[in-house]
Formats: sequence, structure tokens, C-alpha cells
Amino acid sequence: MNTFPLRIGTPDGLLFEGNVVSVSCRTITGDLAILAGHINYCTALGMGRACVVLEDGTRREAACIGGMLTMVDGECRVLATTWEWKEDIDFERAQSAKKKAEEMISKGGLSDREFTLVEAKLHRALVRIGLSGK
Amino acid sequence: MASNMKAVKLRIKSVQSTMQITKAMELVASSKLRKAKERADICRPYFRELHKTLQDIADKNTDFSSVYAGKPSSPRYCFVVIAGDRGLAGGYNSNMFKYVDRVSEGKDYCVLPIGKKAVEYYRRRNREILTDAFAEIAKVDVSDCFEISRLLCKAFRDGEVGHINLCYTGFISMLSQTPSDLAMLPLEDLSREVSEQEARRVRELMLFEPGEEEVFNAIVPEYIAGLVYGGVCESVASELAARRTAMEAATDNAEEMIEKLNLYYNRARQASITQEITEIVGGAEGL
Repeated sequence: MNTFPLRIGTPDGLLFEGNVVSVSCRTITGDLAILAGHINYCTALGMGRACVVLEDGTRREAACIGGMLTMVDGECRVLATTWEWKEDIDFERAQSAKKKAEEMISKGGLSDREFTLVEAKLHRALVRIGLSGK
Repeated sequence: MASNMKAVKLRIKSVQSTMQITKAMELVASSKLRKAKERADICRPYFRELHKTLQDIADKNTDFSSVYAGKPSSPRYCFVVIAGDRGLAGGYNSNMFKYVDRVSEGKDYCVLPIGKKAVEYYRRRNREILTDAFAEIAKVDVSDCFEISRLLCKAFRDGEVGHINLCYTGFISMLSQTPSDLAMLPLEDLSREVSEQEARRVRELMLFEPGEEEVFNAIVPEYIAGLVYGGVCESVASELAARRTAMEAATDNAEEMIEKLNLYYNRARQASITQEITEIVGGAEGL
């Protein structure tokens, strides 16, 4: 399989650097996968599961939230606001965050701004939980 | 002589207590610096990649339909100036302000100061301030940066400002920090100077999905937040490093002064003893 260089960066550091076979993730308009030889491309990332297939065929899954994906001259860069490898996710914390967010929404009385914040929190928790596959 | 000796003694004491303070500040700064440096090191690759990616996009962009990509709607500049909360950091704060004054010369501009010193400086000069909500740089975190970015994007979309630049102090090493500035918006400001030769080559195109406008509207706020956060991390590390160096120098100077004063004090003491002996001997001979 053809491979291409991929870099994954977040404000918490450069999380991945190396050659991969494919990378797929959720963008603002839907799921998308990038293979080697893609034309110059740029899109914004949404919230969802992301998957990277390494050179040796292993799949690594991650929760990917916000940011952008660019392919420039055969080099792919994923600059995400949050990118958490599946093995690093604290599922219990995500569960409790989900519960808390749901409680706040059902209680009501939030301002617009608070509501969007809580909603985003709930979204993030759901993405993380969804990744556990349970 | 005796009164002079007392004055010297007092002076030694006061220098000693100053030294204690500078020494303590040096220790505090160096312990904080370790953490800040780690944070800056972690964030730096993201900061660089982000800036480089946007530069690539700016170079390849051909569609100017998005507000962020098109011609600036106003000639007004907005400088995001990152300085420290406290003084006693050598030339850290004043270098930053001097630098901003230099780059902003002849431009109509407003500022968004981050850090107490920056807020005070621009308030004193009656410069228009976008917001002074971020007066404490030590507390600025990622979510604050998103807030800053939201404000900046809104001002940009409304046409209040046409250019946004970030002024921060780059952490080069423990001993050297230099102020620098970075154009953030519009994307046109970002594109690198294209040489004649390259300009003649057909520009490579880039595919934006679903469309340039949607993509820019989604990524620009995040990109600004990322850059501001990177700038804050670098500046905090620079401030602490500058303070550490300044305090180290102050402690060394105090030590030197104490040594000199001690020498002087001992000489004076000896002189007074010698004088007393001569007086006694002189008196005994007179008998």
C-alpha cells in the first residue's frame, strides 16, 4: 500500500508523526478518508471518531473534536482542538460528564451562551463514550 | 568615624535584605519557569504547524469570497499585545512595548492587551482597548483563548478592524527572548512574498470542502485561538526566564556590594582601633 506522511497536532503537543496508509475522520459535512496521492485539500473537522491505519496495518482509533485537516503537496496535517487516542480516554470521566451535562440541560434556565457550552460538553462526552464501542 | 561605621552597617543590612528578596524571586521564577517551559515546548509544534498550514492555504487560495480571505474591509490594525503581570523582569515588558510602537508606527490601530502591564500601558496612553478582561496572563488558558478569538473574529467580521496581528515574546533560550509579531488576519497578510520566478509558475490549487467560505468560517476562529494560546505560552516562559536572569544579576550585584561594604567597614574599624592605640600611646608618653 502507498503511504503518506501524517502529523497530528493539538495544543497539548504533537501527538503523531509518521507514515500512514490512511486517515479517516468526521468533518463538518460528514465522514472522510484520506489516502496517499490526494490532491491539495482542506476541510474543517467536526466531532467524531477518527481512525488511522499505520504502515504495518494496525488501526488506531481516536476521538477527534474540532480543528482542521489539510493535505498539502502529499503531506497531511491534522490540527485538532482535541485528539485523544482510544487507549488514553477516561471513559468513566466521560460518563460522569455526560450525566452532568444532561442534568444541566434538563434543569433548564441556561443562557444561550451557557447552553452552547453545555451542549458542546455533552457532544464531547458522547463522542468519547461512542468510541468505547459499548 | 563611629557614626560612619554605623551608617555602613545599616547599609549592609539593607542590601542584605534586598538580596534576600531578589534571591527568593529568582528561585520562584526558576521553579515556575520549568513548568512554563515545558508547556511552551509542548505547544510549539502545534503553533508552528498551524501557522505554516495557514500560510500554505494563504499561498494557494484563489477564492476571496470569505470575509477572512478577501481584501481587508478597514485599514485599521488590531494588535494583540502579550506582556507580563508584574515588573522586575529586566527589559521584558518595555522591550515588548517598544517593539509594538515600532511596528505600529504610522498605522491606525487599537489593541487587545493580555497581561496587567500591557493593560496599564495602553490605558495610560489612551489607546483604544478592545477588552481588558484578560489582565492576568497567569490565568489565561485554552478556553480564554477561544474567547479572545471570538471577540477578534467578531470585530473583524463587523469591519471594526481590517488587520489582526499578534505580538508576543518568543522564547529562544533561557538567556534570550525576543519580541516578534505575526500577522493573523486577513489571510492575505499571511501569504509569503512570492518571488518573480515562482509567481510566473501556475499556482497550485487547493480543494476546499464543502466550500471556502464554510471552511474558513469554521477554522479561522480555532486557528486564532491556537495562535494566541501559543503566543501566551511562549510569552509566559519568556517572562519567567527574563525575571530569573534579572534577579540573578541583582543577587550577584548585591553580593558584590556587600563584599565592598564589608571591606570598607573593616578598614574603618581597624583605623579607629589604630587611632585609639596611637592616642593611648601618645597619652602615656606625655605622662
